[in-house]
Amino acid sequence: MSYIQAEHLRKTFTVRKKREKGSLLREKQTVEAIKDLCFTVERGEMVGYIGPNGAGKSTTVKMLSGILTPDAGQVTVGGRIPWKDRREHVRHIGVVFGQRSQLWWDVPVQDSLDLLKDIYRIPEEDYRNRVKELTEALEMEALLRTPLRQLSLGQRMRAELCGSLLHRPELLFLDEPTIGLDAVSKLALRDFLQWENRRHGTTIMLTTHDMEDIVALCPRVMVLGHGSKLFDGTLSSLLGRYDTVRTVSVRYEEADAKPDLPETVPVNREGENLTITYSPDSYPTAELIAKLQQAGTIREMTMQPQNIDHLVAAMYREMDL
Amino acid sequence: MDTIKLYLHSMRMLIKSQLQYPASFFMQTLAQLVMEGGEMLAVILLVDRFERLNQWGPGDLYFFFGMMSVTFYLTECFGRGITGNFPYLIRTGQLDSYLLRPRGLLTQVLCSAVDPRRITCIAVGVAALILGSSLSAIQWTAVKVLLLIEAIACGCALVLGLFVIEAIFCIYSVKSVELVNAITYGGRSACQYPIDTYPRPLRVLFTVLAPFALTLHVPGSMILDKPLFGWPLWAAFVSPLSGFVAFGVIFLVFRRAMRHYRSTGS
Repeated sequence: MSYIQAEHLRKTFTVRKKREKGSLLREKQTVEAIKDLCFTVERGEMVGYIGPNGAGKSTTVKMLSGILTPDAGQVTVGGRIPWKDRREHVRHIGVVFGQRSQLWWDVPVQDSLDLLKDIYRIPEEDYRNRVKELTEALEMEALLRTPLRQLSLGQRMRAELCGSLLHRPELLFLDEPTIGLDAVSKLALRDFLQWENRRHGTTIMLTTHDMEDIVALCPRVMVLGHGSKLFDGTLSSLLGRYDTVRTVSVRYEEADAKPDLPETVPVNREGENLTITYSPDSYPTAELIAKLQQAGTIREMTMQPQNIDHLVAAMYREMDL
Repeated sequence: MDTIKLYLHSMRMLIKSQLQYPASFFMQTLAQLVMEGGEMLAVILLVDRFERLNQWGPGDLYFFFGMMSVTFYLTECFGRGITGNFPYLIRTGQLDSYLLRPRGLLTQVLCSAVDPRRITCIAVGVAALILGSSLSAIQWTAVKVLLLIEAIACGCALVLGLFVIEAIFCIYSVKSVELVNAITYGGRSACQYPIDTYPRPLRVLFTVLAPFALTLHVPGSMILDKPLFGWPLWAAFVSPLSGFVAFGVIFLVFRRAMRHYRSTGS
C-alpha cells in the first residue's frame, strides 16, 4: 500500500453570494473544489503539485492534513485517516505556508522552538539534537536569538522550516515556500529540501507557481485544474507536449529586408528586429535559416527556447483552466 | 499536567513578547486603570445618591461590583486567547495552524494570548471587595473564603464559555457577531449589581442563560449574610457550579460546530 492513498475525493463548498436588489433571499452557489480526485504517493517521494489559482491545491492539502473533511472518497496517509484522529495524524506531518507564519512574531526564534518542543512533546535530548542538525543545515544558528519580526523574508522562511521539521515529520507539505524569496534564498531552500528528503526519507509535497522549484526538486509533478487531476508524471514529459515552439530574432543590415516565409510562420516587426515564431515539427529549421539568409545580410540572430512559464501558460490554456 | 505546563510556558513567552514594547505596555495598563476606575466611580456615585438598592447597602454593592470585576478581568487576563480574538483567528484562518498541531484546539487558543494589562482592573476589583467587606462588616470565616474562591472560579468558567459562543457563531457565519457582546460585556455591566434589582426578563436571562446570578450573586449574598431567595448554605455552594456546566455545554456545542469549520484563504 502506498504512503498516501487518495481515492475519489470530492469536496464542495457553498458560497453565498451578495443579495441582489429586489430579491429577498441570498443566492447560494455550490462550488466543486475537488471532484473525483485519485492519486497515490510513495514514501520518500518529492511531488510537485501545480495548477492555477483556485484549482483546489490548498483544499487537497487541507484534506490530507486533516483540517477539512472530504464530502466523499477516502484518504489514508501512512495508514491513518487524517480527519479521524487529527491529533495523532498531525504528530507525523509538517506544514509550511509561504504566506502564513506558524511561529510567534515578537519572540526570538529560539523561544518559539522551545514552545513547539512542548506542544509536540519532543524529548529534551532529541530536541537538542534536532535543533542542532536543522540550524546547521539551514545555516541559521545566528538567527536563533533574533525576534521573528526582525528577520528578512528569506531568514524567516528558514525559521519556519526549522519549526515545522522539529518533530521529524514523515510528510512535509510546502505551500509556495519560495514566494517572494531572492535568488540566493531560493537556491539555499531547494538544497535544504533535497538534503532533508535524502537524509531522513521525508516525503515532500510541494505546491508552487515557480516552475524552477519543480525543475530543481520534483521528479514527479501532478497538475490540478478545476478540481480534477489533469496530469501525473515527469515534468519533462509534461512540458514535451507543449515545448513545440521556438522563437527567432533577426536583425538585418538592410532596413526593409523581408524573408519570404509561408503564412503558417508569423513575422513580427519591432523596430529593426524581426521576431519569428515557428514550430520545428511543421517547418524545418534548415529551411527557415535558408530563407532568412536569402532575404538580406543578417547582422544579428538569436534563437530562444520557450520560457517555462510560457509553456505552463500554454498548457493551462489548452486544458482550459 | 502537561497542558498546564504548556499553558505556563506560553504565558511566560507571551508576557516576554509584550514587554518588547514597554512604553506601550505601561500606558495601556494605566488606561485600563482609568477605565475600570470609572466603572467603580459610577457605583460610588450611585451609592452616594441612593444609599441602598432594595436590601443592599453601600458595602454590599461594592462587594458585588468587586466580585464581578475580579471574575471578569481575571478571565480577560488569563483567558485572553478566548476572550480576545477568537473570531479573528477563525476569520483569518489562523485556526488552521492550530489544527496542524497535536493539541486540543481550545488549549491552543487559550495559550495564544495573555493580557497582563488587566492587572489594574483586577486591582480595582480587589479594592472594591475590601471596601465592601469593611463597610458591610463581613465576618470572614473559612467557609466564606472558600465560597468566594469557588464563586470567582466558576464565574471565570462562565465568562470563558460565553466568549466561546461568539466563536461558535463565527464558525457558521465567518463573521463576528456583536449580539453575543450583549451577554458577555453586557452581562458584566448588568451583573455588577445584584440580580434582584432587575425586572423579570433580565433576571431570567442572567439566571438561566448566562447564570451570573447563580455563580456570583447567590454565593455573594451568602457571604454578606443576606442570602438571595432565602437559599441555604449548601445551595450557595452548589449553584456556582452552573458556571462550569454552562462552560461544558458550550464546549460540546463548539466541538460539534468545529465539524462544520471550513478554513478560509489558501
